[in-house]
Amino acid sequence: MKLVNIANRNYIITLILVFVVGSIVGYFVLKSIVNKEFNEKLFAEKDQLIYELHTFEELKANYYLNIGDKIQLDEVDRDPDITPILSDTVMYDKFEKKKLPFRTLTFSDKFQGKFYLVRITKSLMSNNDLMKGITEIMVIVVLLLSLSLIVVNRFLSKKIWSPFHQILSDLNEFKISKPVPLSTIDTTVDEFRELQNALNSMIDKSIRDYQNLKEYTENTSHEIQTPLAIIRNKSEMLLQEPLSKKQLTEIGKIYEASGRLSRLKEGLSILTKIDNEQFVDAEFIHLKKFIKKKLSNVEELVGIKNLTVTTKFLANPILELNNDLAYILITNLLSNAIKHNVENGEIKITVKSSELLFENTGLDLKIPTEELFDRFKRSGKNIESIGLGLSLVKRITDYYHMQISYSYSNQWHVIKIQY
Amino acid sequence: MNVLIIEDEKALAENMVSYLDHSGYHCEWVDNLNSAQEKIWSYSYDCIIVDITLPDGSGLDVIQRLKTMKSKSGIIIVSAKNSTEDKIAGLDIGADDYITKPFDLSELNARIKSVIRRRSFDAQNEITFQEITIFPYDHLVTISGKPLNLTKKEFDLLLYFVSNKSRVITKESIAEHLWGDDMDMADSFDFIYSHLKNLRKKIEEIGGNDYIQTVYGIGYKFIKE
Repeated sequence: MKLVNIANRNYIITLILVFVVGSIVGYFVLKSIVNKEFNEKLFAEKDQLIYELHTFEELKANYYLNIGDKIQLDEVDRDPDITPILSDTVMYDKFEKKKLPFRTLTFSDKFQGKFYLVRITKSLMSNNDLMKGITEIMVIVVLLLSLSLIVVNRFLSKKIWSPFHQILSDLNEFKISKPVPLSTIDTTVDEFRELQNALNSMIDKSIRDYQNLKEYTENTSHEIQTPLAIIRNKSEMLLQEPLSKKQLTEIGKIYEASGRLSRLKEGLSILTKIDNEQFVDAEFIHLKKFIKKKLSNVEELVGIKNLTVTTKFLANPILELNNDLAYILITNLLSNAIKHNVENGEIKITVKSSELLFENTGLDLKIPTEELFDRFKRSGKNIESIGLGLSLVKRITDYYHMQISYSYSNQWHVIKIQY
Repeated sequence: MNVLIIEDEKALAENMVSYLDHSGYHCEWVDNLNSAQEKIWSYSYDCIIVDITLPDGSGLDVIQRLKTMKSKSGIIIVSAKNSTEDKIAGLDIGADDYITKPFDLSELNARIKSVIRRRSFDAQNEITFQEITIFPYDHLVTISGKPLNLTKKEFDLLLYFVSNKSRVITKESIAEHLWGDDMDMADSFDFIYSHLKNLRKKIEEIGGNDYIQTVYGIGYKFIKE
């Protein structure tokens, strides 16, 4: 969920809650004030009426003080002696032509020697209308506020948060092998500036570390070559000497180890070269032809384990790849399928228009699937394998933005590459 | 047979000189471009082994010079593994072969022999070891004059043995010679053994001797007892 939406949701929920509570409280407060004013007005009218009745001679049964206000005087025999009473009734209003609420103030008084029961009836209409109006205003205000809040928030999120989104998209695009500095953001927000500074120094450090590591790998890989050749050749020379069988065996082990080390070095230096993008020139590779050629080269080696190779070329895709990388890719896939196969096993190679499948029989892996493409992961006893093959495959597919996946079921290992 | 080795790493050069001397070559060694230019000017060599990366320049310059001199020497480039550019550049300007570090001396020896053979188009283009005669260009082998029918791998194997006669050849080196980079794809050592068995059988069937000795755990040696 987006930050702006979370903020909006919370703002609006709070706004509505506050306004509902505020409106209810406000309604009652206003109502009591209006009510009080209304009553005070009624009493004021009463005082006015009493004054007029006492002052003027002529009496009328009904007085109309205001439109809608009604005064009723009833002559009574004896003093009712009541304190003024307020009561609400519903009566037919001839102006509005419907039944409306009224409030009546009843009191008694004596003038010109007679006792009277006086009722002043006043329409509550205006009172109610006021309440209605206020409520309507409240609702409109809530709606307007919510709307403006959403708009302002969206605007803020676009404007103020834009540096943040800029940084985020830069970070998503960031590749340590091809570092592009974060674009300078134009913001007055301290937090974003701090964020960018922190990220910049972190990125600088990562780039430096990466460069150091890369150089180190390159140098090691290059410098290790000559001593390795010396070890190999010196041990080869020693093997020619008339030494005891035991000594020769020991030298044989040195020789063998140097061979393994040089294969390892070679693998690592290919990985480094891929990282350094030193395999740039691409050419059009006819996958079918390419695989067929490779297969014919290894026919004999396949024969050692008595493996059956079946190929299915359902399409003839042409990929734009570097020739060396294509060679390494196919060789390692094939090598993997041969090496980790079982005696009398099978290999199935399927080429589709956008998919390459390498399937081989073999024992269950001892390592988790997700680690399969990591360096130096090997299963079981195969110490001859240097454990770089599949990580090379992975790196090459990554380099060309291909999808690679592995699955295992029923003793079949399947590596799928989508291009 | 004169061989010039242009290699800046002393320990490596020593090995090459020693191994090749033993194989009947006369070897000279220089460790920089300058002395190399001097040498090729003053003497003629059957084969020149050039390391591409030299302290004072590129070994490719030597090849260039040899070509302008219309030299008849065979040229083998030594370079780092997988530097395809060097390889293509070298072969383009006229090198005969290419070998990557680290290599086996037996492999280098076989390459030198092959390069020299290709360079000298004389009638003597055959290799003889006791009763075995190999005609490398016709892919033919005879045992005391009788033709021996070999598969391509068996032929390569025999030629490799004869090129490195009396030397211990490791099984890794044989595997690499026969299958190149694909050697570690499978348990190729078992396969060498079965090829060897067939080769021995075929030679013995038509009256040849078995010169292949097993050096336990290490490899083989082709030697006259």
